[in-house]
Order: sequence, then C-alpha cells, then structure tokens
Amino acid sequence: WLACPFQKDTHDAQMDYYGTRLATCSSDRSVKIFDVRNGGQILIADLRGHEGPVWQVAWAHPMYGNILASCSYDRKVIIWREENGTWEKSHEHAGHDSSVNSVCWAPHDYGLILACGSSDGAISLLTYTGEGQWEVKKINNAHTIGCNAVSWAPAVVPGSLIDQPSGQKPNYIKKFASGGCDNLIKLWKEEEDGQWKEEQKLEAHSDWVRDVAWAPSIGLPTSTIASCSQDGRVFIWTCDDASGNTWSPKLLHKFNDVVWHVSWSITANILAVSGGDNKVTLWKESVDGQWVCISDVNKGQGSVSASVTEGQQNEQ
Amino acid sequence: MEELDGEPTVTLIPGVNSKKHQMCFDWGPGEMLVCETSFNKKEKSEVVPSCPFIYIIRKDVDVYSQVLRKLFNESHGIFVGLQRIEEELTGKSRKSQLVRVSKNYRSVIRACMEEMHQVAIAAKDPASGRQFSSQVSILSAMELIWNLCEILFIEVAPAGPLLLHLLDWVRLHVCEVDSLSADVLGSENPSKHESFWNLPGNTQTLTELELKWQHWHEECERYLQDCTFASNPHLESLCKIMLGDEAALLEQKELLSNWYHFLVTRLLYSNPTVKPIDLQYYAQSSLDLFLGGESSPEPLDNILMAAFEFDIHQVIKECSIALSNWWFVAHLTDLLDHCKLLQSHNLYFGSNMRECLLLEYASGLFAHPSLWQLGVDYFDYCPELGRVSLELHIERIPLNTEQKALKVLRICEQRQMTEQVRSICKILAMKAVRNNRLGSALSWSIRAKDAAFATLVSDRFLRDYCERGCFSDLDLIDNLGPAMMLSDRLTFLGKYREFHRVYGEKRFADAASLLLSLMTSQIAPRSFWMTLLTDALPLLEQKQVIFSAEQTYELMQCLEDLTSGRPVHGGPDTQQCQDDDIETTKVEMLRLALARNLARAIVREGSLEGF
Repeated sequence: WLACPFQKDTHDAQMDYYGTRLATCSSDRSVKIFDVRNGGQILIADLRGHEGPVWQVAWAHPMYGNILASCSYDRKVIIWREENGTWEKSHEHAGHDSSVNSVCWAPHDYGLILACGSSDGAISLLTYTGEGQWEVKKINNAHTIGCNAVSWAPAVVPGSLIDQPSGQKPNYIKKFASGGCDNLIKLWKEEEDGQWKEEQKLEAHSDWVRDVAWAPSIGLPTSTIASCSQDGRVFIWTCDDASGNTWSPKLLHKFNDVVWHVSWSITANILAVSGGDNKVTLWKESVDGQWVCISDVNKGQGSVSASVTEGQQNEQ
Repeated sequence: MEELDGEPTVTLIPGVNSKKHQMCFDWGPGEMLVCETSFNKKEKSEVVPSCPFIYIIRKDVDVYSQVLRKLFNESHGIFVGLQRIEEELTGKSRKSQLVRVSKNYRSVIRACMEEMHQVAIAAKDPASGRQFSSQVSILSAMELIWNLCEILFIEVAPAGPLLLHLLDWVRLHVCEVDSLSADVLGSENPSKHESFWNLPGNTQTLTELELKWQHWHEECERYLQDCTFASNPHLESLCKIMLGDEAALLEQKELLSNWYHFLVTRLLYSNPTVKPIDLQYYAQSSLDLFLGGESSPEPLDNILMAAFEFDIHQVIKECSIALSNWWFVAHLTDLLDHCKLLQSHNLYFGSNMRECLLLEYASGLFAHPSLWQLGVDYFDYCPELGRVSLELHIERIPLNTEQKALKVLRICEQRQMTEQVRSICKILAMKAVRNNRLGSALSWSIRAKDAAFATLVSDRFLRDYCERGCFSDLDLIDNLGPAMMLSDRLTFLGKYREFHRVYGEKRFADAASLLLSLMTSQIAPRSFWMTLLTDALPLLEQKQVIFSAEQTYELMQCLEDLTSGRPVHGGPDTQQCQDDDIETTKVEMLRLALARNLARAIVREGSLEGF
C-alpha cells in the first residue's frame, strides 16, 4: 500500500470511472476536481454553488460525458458538467425541505438517473430527458426522520441476455436500496407505470443506518448488500434470486463506534468499511462463508509501514 | 483465501493528530482506495474543523517498477505457453516438461535479480540504492523458495537424488562456497568420497548406495573410537563432522550462513539417502539447533519449513502474506496446479485457489496503463470468474487515444463481449459528438450497432447540412454500405447524400426518382421535407422535363401534406413573422414551379402518346 498526501478538509471523495480524476467535496461548500493520473494531483476545477457543507459527490458514467453530482446541507443537489474543458453548473434540484445526504447514479443502462436521499425523509429521482431537462419523481416519507444513503442495484436484464433487436430497449427491472434514520434498509422497485414502490424492508440495525452499498454483479445468481449503522454493526445481506425475495443478514462485525461508510471493490470481492477506532478495514469472504478482515488501514501518527518508501512513490 | 491466523497487517497513514477524526474512502478501478477524514458527529449540522489530508492508497505498487515489468512480461509468456501445452502434456515427458517450465520461471527471476542488482549499484542516492537492494533480496528469496518447491513438488526427487538437488540448491543460493565440503574433499579419504558421489552414471541402486555409505560411515566411527585422530584435534573434529555430529557442525556455525545450509550439510554427512518424508524432522531440528533459542524464525524460514513438510497450501498461504504482490503465488500455484498437486478448494466465488490468485494478480495488472494487456490473458485462463472479471475491468481502462480504444475493442470483440463493445463505442461516440467530430461519432455508433445513437448523429449531420449547405465526412457517408440499415435516419442520410451525388453526375432522372422516393417512403423526417422540396426546385426549373406528371402530382401531394399540417403562426414575435414570410415565399415558389412542371409534363406525355 502506498499513501501519498493530498488535500485537506473534505467529507467525501470519489474517483471517476477510469481512476484518472478525483472529485472531493468539503464543508467549505466547494466541490473540487483533481487530475490524479500518474500519481499527480492537479486541481482542475473549484466549483462553487452550494450554500452549505457538501456531503457527497458522485460521477456519472462516462458515456454521458463528464458529469458530477453533489448534494449538500443547503437542501440542494447540483449537477455539474464539463463542456469544452470547463466545468459549469448544469442543473440545480431544490426539491427537498432539508439537507440532502446522499446521491447515487443509476447503472448507465437505465439512462442518466440520479437518486437523492434527504433528511426530510424523501428520496427524489432525477431523470435526464434531453435538452437540459430533468424529470423529477419523489418518494415521500421513504424513511421517517431522514434518509442517509442510497445505492442502486446493478443492471440485470431479466431472462436471457441475447442481443436485443436494434432500437429496442431491454426491459430492465430498476431497483435501489436506501438506508434511513428509522434504522431500516428499504429496497425500492420501479413498477410498470413508472412509480416506485417499496419492495422490501430489511430490519436488523438498532440505530440509524449510515450507509448502504449494493455489490456489483459478478454473474452469480445471488444479490448482496452491505449496510452499516450508528449501532456499530455492519451486515451483509444476501438474496438467492432463484428463490425469490428473502434477504438474510449476516453480521460482518460489531465495531466499537459508529460505522460511516461501506464500499465494494469493482469486482465485489473486497468490502471496505470505515469503522470505529478510526480505521478502514478490508473484508473478504472466506471458504466457509465467514467474513475475514484482511487488512487494516489505520490513521495515526508515525511513519508509513516498511513495505512502502518514498523511493517507490517517486518511481511512478 | 483461507482464514488468516495472524492479525491483519496494519498500514499506517501519516495522518494528523487526534483519534477524533473518522476516515472515509472510495474504490477506484485499479484498486486504489482513497482515504480521507471527516468528522464523526451524529448531527451533521455541526461543522467540526478537520485538518487532515486525503490519501490515495495503491496496492501493487510493484506494477510501476521498470525492472519488474520485464518479469511480468516474460513470465506472462511462460504462463500462456504452459496453459496452451497442457493438452500435450502426457506420460513420462510430462514431468520433465513441467520441470522445464519451472526452470524457465526461475531464470526469469534471476535475470530480473541481475538487472535490479545493476540498478542498485548504479543508483545515485543511497536511499533508492538500498531500496533496490532490498528488492534484490526479495527476488532472491523468491527464487530460493521456488527452487525448493521445484525439487520437492515438481521434480519430486526421490531419496538419493534428493540430497544432490538440495546440495545444488544450497550452493546456488549461499554466497560463500561450501567451505566444509572443500575441507572434506581435502581430507584423508578423498578417493572414497569421489567414487561415492559418482552418481550421474546411476549404475547403482539406492540400496547399494546405502550399503556403501553405511560401510564408510562405520569405518569413520571406528577411526574415531580408536582415537586415531587423538593427536590432531582438527582432524578429530573433521571426522566428527563427517559423521554428521551436530555439535561439531554447529561449532563451525560461522561458515554456515543459515539453518538450511546447516540442514543439508548435516544430511550430507549423517543421512545422505534421506527420504523425502523424513526431511521435515531434520529440517525442524536443524532450524531449532541453528537458531539456538536466540532468535525466532523469520517468514522465509516458515515458508521453507512448510515446504520441507510438503504442506503446499501452507507454503502458498505464507508466501501470500509475506510478499507484496501476487505475482509469485499466482504463477507458482498455477504451475503446481498443472502438476495436479492442489486439491480442489472451493472458495466464495466457487473458484479454486489457483483461479483466486490469478484473478488477484490480473486485477493488479489492470492498474497499469500498458500491463493491463497481460492481465487479459490471465483472465482468459480463469474458467469460472475470468470472463466477468475481465468485463468489469476492461470497461475502466481510460481510452486516451484512438489506438488504445481500438485495442480494447478488439479484445472485447474477440471474446463476444457485446455489452462492453456497445458501452465503449457509446462513450467514444458521445465524446466525438461533443467535440463535433460527427464522422467519428457515426462510425463508433455503427460499430456499437447502436441504432438510437446513429439516429442522433445522423440528425446532427442533417442539421449541419441545413446550416452550412454541405456535408462533412463525405467519405464515410458514401461508403456506409449495409451499415446504412442500422437506423432509418441513417438510411435517409445515406440516400440523401446519394441524391446529391447522382445530381452532381447530372443523372437528373435518377436523382428525381430518388428524391421523390425519399419522401414517399416515409424515411425522410418531416422536418426535412421542406429542404427536399427545395432541392427539387432546380430539377423543376430545368429546360427538359424531368419529373413526370405522376411524379409531379406526388410532389404536390407532399407539399400539401406539409403545409396543411403546419400550425398558423400568429403573434407579436417579429422573427417568427419573418420566418413565416420566408416559408410562405418558398411554398409559393414551389407551387408555381410544380404547376409549371405539371403543365409541361402533361404536354410532353400527351404529345408522345399521340405519336
């Protein structure tokens, strides 16, 4: 593991699809974009527009261009776009009554769709319809007290994956998961009429759910969701799609402090957890189905461990 | 991966101050993890000033080393070669071929070591020099372990040759010459030694050998007991050594660089025909005696011990923990799997250990701007999850140049990864559209077989034409061929361009029918009809009659369709009024031209008939 010092004062950071750019957001209300190719750190853009601390950023799929979404305490969601080398505000969504805590882009197969979770308990879904227009659908009272996290399920075409005749869009079943202050994780599904319906309620946490992460698909018939909470617990939920809609939780670990964030690696074989004790731990499922911690990334004083030296850093 | 017995390694980040701050993170495609800190209050309304940094953490930094890159490249060739000849590996030659592969891997490691050593010597500053030197010792350790595995697991040396192999192994890796052997050769019974070790001819069986050795051993013991060497303590200790007396050997500890050197020396003198299964007992006691309770075993010692115990899984496990990248365990495990030595060991993804390690290694390669191509082949040889892993990784390769994009696409097309082809082409097509390279956008959407996008690009072409009066990328449009059928709009674009071409060749009659068919066949978008009709004007104004009466009637019908469907524009907007005026004038002109043409056509046709 190599660590290189970067930048101060942020709440969230996200790599773009290719790992060439990094977007960060901060309590100073800014959204910054850096070019991080070849170990460099060049500031490309400093985007201002929010009137409060910015909680999260999310990159859209590159086929739609360079698009970034950000959400903030100021109750707004802003969509930024790069045109001709400059970043500008492309759209602003002010449909919430309270802080917007989480934004997540849907799988690119569905189009350009953004889910936003807010402290007013609602989840809004913004769909780009062309010519700079966004259509809004709102799920009111998705979670009582507030919604803290949203995460989309990977796109899976029902039935066989044979080439669809040209011009015809395959019938995707769109789903996403949300976590809220009601200690629940809810799974939402889009009905044929375009309305979103609560499909499942996953109960296991005893305090606010801070983050949910739906694992990428690796072609297996099971679906997996990770959730973490104020109660210090991280659960792995699995559903055997063949049987239907039964989700079973497995406790990954009980930490001593609130767990803020869970995230899957792109091939879904490692789960990273930002846990208590100021550590990021990495977990993998072992032979017998138990989850094992494979690495600790600890923030603390002192130098980086012996396997990494500055020399290696310079070599890049 | 199996359960870990020990604590996971902790990587400290040179962060700042207190334990108050939380960390959060994100995964990048190349397994880069971004860690930074934020505050940890439940109520996000409070803003706690945090001062720490963001860190980008990368695994597999080795991928970026120039010298190691050669290792990756060359071992890739060996790996692929091994997978390919698998079917041909049969019978007696199988083992020798596998040994050859093993030796190939080892020579690649040694070559890399050599080069790294040169780099270390030439290093400008002592810090990087030290770092390269430590890489050299890591490579040396890898070769040491691999060599031992080759002897024990692949060569499967039986008793007799086993010790010879081990002797070679130690000699190769120990810097100092085996000075003890030198001493022994210069001792009292050189002839006995020389003939004794004349094994290459291999005319003796193991039993014969053992008998001979027993005889010699007894003779030495007798000399000792008879105090033949009493007068000479040096010779006496030499004799003891030759009898494999551990204490005597240990007295010469400074000549033995490590415990396995001690082990092999000991075996040489006490039990040269040691059987493989007994090896572990000698190994364990050698380790214990050599360390003498002063120090504890290092990771390397544990790995070697596991090998002596023929515990392959333990060897792989310990190596995975000790080494900083997956290269070693991935390739060694794959080779051992070909030797049919690994039990099927089902892991979470349903794949076995070999595949699991190869997947890890290949994933690491994808972090590198050019080594990712090697990774593709490794994924290809992972039957369970290789394909889906490749699909997930290949989409994340930044497509900086057209060349790279084409390379990636070719790889996807060869493997019928249609989803990925479509996705990548779409990304490139969109990028081209944004940069106004419509021809490029069109060819990408054709390659992606993306009808919707082809329609979009075709519309842009047509709009451009309306604005500028000419087409860009004529070559492309003229040579669409069957691809034209991808979308109606694209077909229209192709046909419309054909109309212009035919008109340019002065084949007016053909141009006229083509133009008419574009409208009547409904493939022309309604918004374009006015343009088409306007295009008809020069044909209507020609001296000779081009459109027949029937064709003229059809054109008039189209015009009426168009004008009747138009909403009445009324209103204060002056620009709108001006546009309306232009429109009205055009329509008037067309009506006049059509009427005139109709008249002439009727006359001409009437005359001909009358003939």
